[in-house]
Amino acid sequence: MLRKAVLQTFRQGLAQSFFKRNAVSLSETTVTHQPIETSNEAGERSVSTQKTSDDSGNTVVVAPPEFRFMYPEFLPDPAMETRNRLKEKLERMDMLQRRSVIEIPEFYTGSIMAVTVADANSPNKFAKFVGICIQRGGSGLRAWFILRNVVDKQGVEILYEMYCPLIQKIEVLRLERRLDESLLYLRDALPEYSTFSFDMEPERRLNNSVVPINPLKVKLRPRPWLERWERQNLQGVEDLKLPQVFYDRAAKVAKPWEKYDLMLHYRKTIPAEEQEKIFAEVHSQLQQQELKRKLRRRRGPDSEQ
Amino acid sequence: MNQADLSKLVSALRIAVKPKPKLFSSPEGPAGRLKKLSATVTALVKYERIELNYPRAEEAQGYAERLISDAIRNGDCHKHTMEMADYWLNEKQLVHKLFKVLVPRYQNYNSSFTRLVRGPTTYPGYYAGTAILELKGNPFPPLKPETHNYHYWLHNVLLEEAKKEFRSAREERNAGTTESVTAES
Repeated sequence: MLRKAVLQTFRQGLAQSFFKRNAVSLSETTVTHQPIETSNEAGERSVSTQKTSDDSGNTVVVAPPEFRFMYPEFLPDPAMETRNRLKEKLERMDMLQRRSVIEIPEFYTGSIMAVTVADANSPNKFAKFVGICIQRGGSGLRAWFILRNVVDKQGVEILYEMYCPLIQKIEVLRLERRLDESLLYLRDALPEYSTFSFDMEPERRLNNSVVPINPLKVKLRPRPWLERWERQNLQGVEDLKLPQVFYDRAAKVAKPWEKYDLMLHYRKTIPAEEQEKIFAEVHSQLQQQELKRKLRRRRGPDSEQ
Repeated sequence: MNQADLSKLVSALRIAVKPKPKLFSSPEGPAGRLKKLSATVTALVKYERIELNYPRAEEAQGYAERLISDAIRNGDCHKHTMEMADYWLNEKQLVHKLFKVLVPRYQNYNSSFTRLVRGPTTYPGYYAGTAILELKGNPFPPLKPETHNYHYWLHNVLLEEAKKEFRSAREERNAGTTESVTAES
């Protein structure tokens, strides 16, 4: 009798915990969300809340598809061996918490940014750096980006971790994209392509809904280079004008079959259904934060005075 | 850069995907591996049930599922999907079969589109054994017998009740003996 009772409670406990877990996730997805729209939103980019209905007829919040480009660090590392759903969920909560304290704006590789970091050793206690984002990576709280600038004829690159608490301010001075996802070739390009003034003012965008792609083709310095750029299929570089031997060797080493390797692509990315789930979870909080910031900016000069 | 690649949107596969791909040696190297697997995928789409060795069946299952899921997600007007179908299906009439027959068949499926069943491992022979890879919804008789719920059949009901009676009788007997023991102590 006792053993039966113990077994029953154990099974019940399991079932309860399972149900609770499912119930929580269900309630997250079936929350009806009213998008708060203020009257002066006309000029601003409208991040539309897409509402779709699931099987039971409740409206389900779905984040717009651009979210995966705007917030790529919310997606976990696709390597299957290290995936842990609970860890990812906790990390997303921490990321949102940090984003509520400091504004981490939308940026892409090729955008010019200014980052202010708390520095105990500098006279002002803050250190500001302006540069072009040449690469971004990492997932979760370890998301990083590299800013490059040429200071006193010396090329300088700084890797910033986006969620580092030492960062005081991240400002996007010019929001644009380039033809490549990685601008590491700027290291071998003429210095004028990487030079940006530290006094650069943030530029106002004429068209808020679309991020412009700068079709600039960069001129590289004469060889030797840091990497074999001719093997990397770069779009944003002018014709390299190398002897044919280089291209022949590149063709020998190339892996053209990888274009057709469907499982390789699958293992390198997060499936669409999971992306939608992640961004639906995170979307409403991000929108609320953005709105609060807009209201604060509008009220800002009046309330501060 | 361990950020997820955003260039393609991919449907989630409903099969168990292993973290590392299985390599197959061939005279052409890695290109030959994909060629061999494309032959397997072509045969699967053509015959809808094929018998082959297990490791190749496992890999080909992944690629077949990816191809079908891409076809369902993007349709036949999508350039990238068409290129993939063109590469993976060596016979061009099978590209038509993929988009005109398989996509409508699997449009509303919530499960995987293929089934991998392990076949006999004959000794001496290939250690990993054989497997049968088939597309679901094929016109052939099923490989495994259909599973029915037999618990409400009369003899099973009677057996379950007999088991419960036996267990409760045994627990009463045990409770009786422990009570007598505690009473004595």
